[in-house]
Amino acid sequence: MALIFIRTAVIFVTLLLCMRLMGKSQIGEMQPFEFVITMLIAELACIPMADSSIPLMYGVISVVTIFILHQLVWLLDALFKPMKAVICGRPALVITREGIDAVQLKKNNLEVSDLVESMRAAGYFNLDDVYYGLYESNGSFSALAKEERTASLPLLIIDSGKADGDNMAKAGITRGQLKQFLAERGMRESGVLAMTADGGGRVYLQKRGRPYTIEHIEVKGQW
Amino acid sequence: MVRSIIYTATAIVLCVAFFIFTEIYVGEQFGCLTEAAAELRRKTEEGEASENDALAVQALWDDKKSKLHIFIPHNDIAQIDYCLSEARGHLAAGNAELALAKIETVVRLSRSLPFSYSVRLENVF
Repeated sequence: MALIFIRTAVIFVTLLLCMRLMGKSQIGEMQPFEFVITMLIAELACIPMADSSIPLMYGVISVVTIFILHQLVWLLDALFKPMKAVICGRPALVITREGIDAVQLKKNNLEVSDLVESMRAAGYFNLDDVYYGLYESNGSFSALAKEERTASLPLLIIDSGKADGDNMAKAGITRGQLKQFLAERGMRESGVLAMTADGGGRVYLQKRGRPYTIEHIEVKGQW
Repeated sequence: MVRSIIYTATAIVLCVAFFIFTEIYVGEQFGCLTEAAAELRRKTEEGEASENDALAVQALWDDKKSKLHIFIPHNDIAQIDYCLSEARGHLAAGNAELALAKIETVVRLSRSLPFSYSVRLENVF
């Protein structure tokens, strides 16, 4: 039985470590260790229940092990503050007043498209609708909204140096037009962290390692 | 907070106590079977074993296994059941050599099974 305890603990620690390394994109609304527990507990309870060749006690011991580990992680969280950051991670500030923080996005295995999606889910459709945007340690997105928002639906034209052909077609922006637009600003496609364009031709443009700017481009799309 | 610490400490103490009990109990139960099977092997080797001797070992095992089902997978218990039944059948038919092979398997299994469930590095991984 002690063997089951140790094996469960090994799986728990391995999963927790992997979830932490995978970043915030893999969890939602749960702390990493809570997510790991949710994943494990159903299997641990079900396998001995469904397979009559395994003593039910194996499932009981595994579930009790998960309870003990949960309590230990919770106690470590409560008693030693630095452990909270190690186990649960820290919030990641991905949008500042200067725009998207590419380093923080990369650290959390996220892309600009993931950020845009999180923002839309939170009710912000433009990257410059917020002063600050951050991913909490449980993977949820929080933002400090600007007083005035732009009432438009922007399309992501360039995501981390790669142009999105479908969105360009929807916006009616040609390759040549995009190349010329960037060349006029001394940029190349690969050097752009994010570029969005809305139906009015309003462009959010951010070069890697530089603050964002609001520009204008001719669009022919109807959205 | 205090209540959580008490619950956690209680769960850990109960688990550790249960693990120690399991380790000792399973070891003792298989120890009894090993002794009985070794005696049956000796008798078989000397040509003194009868079907009744095998039945006695089987009865002892039936008593032990009813409790062991809580602690070890039922398939492992069934393996010993099969071997003991075959050994009894061979002894009843007068095939001492075939019975000896099966009894040897029982002795081997009863010695190795408790170690399969004890805390060892090779068992963890």
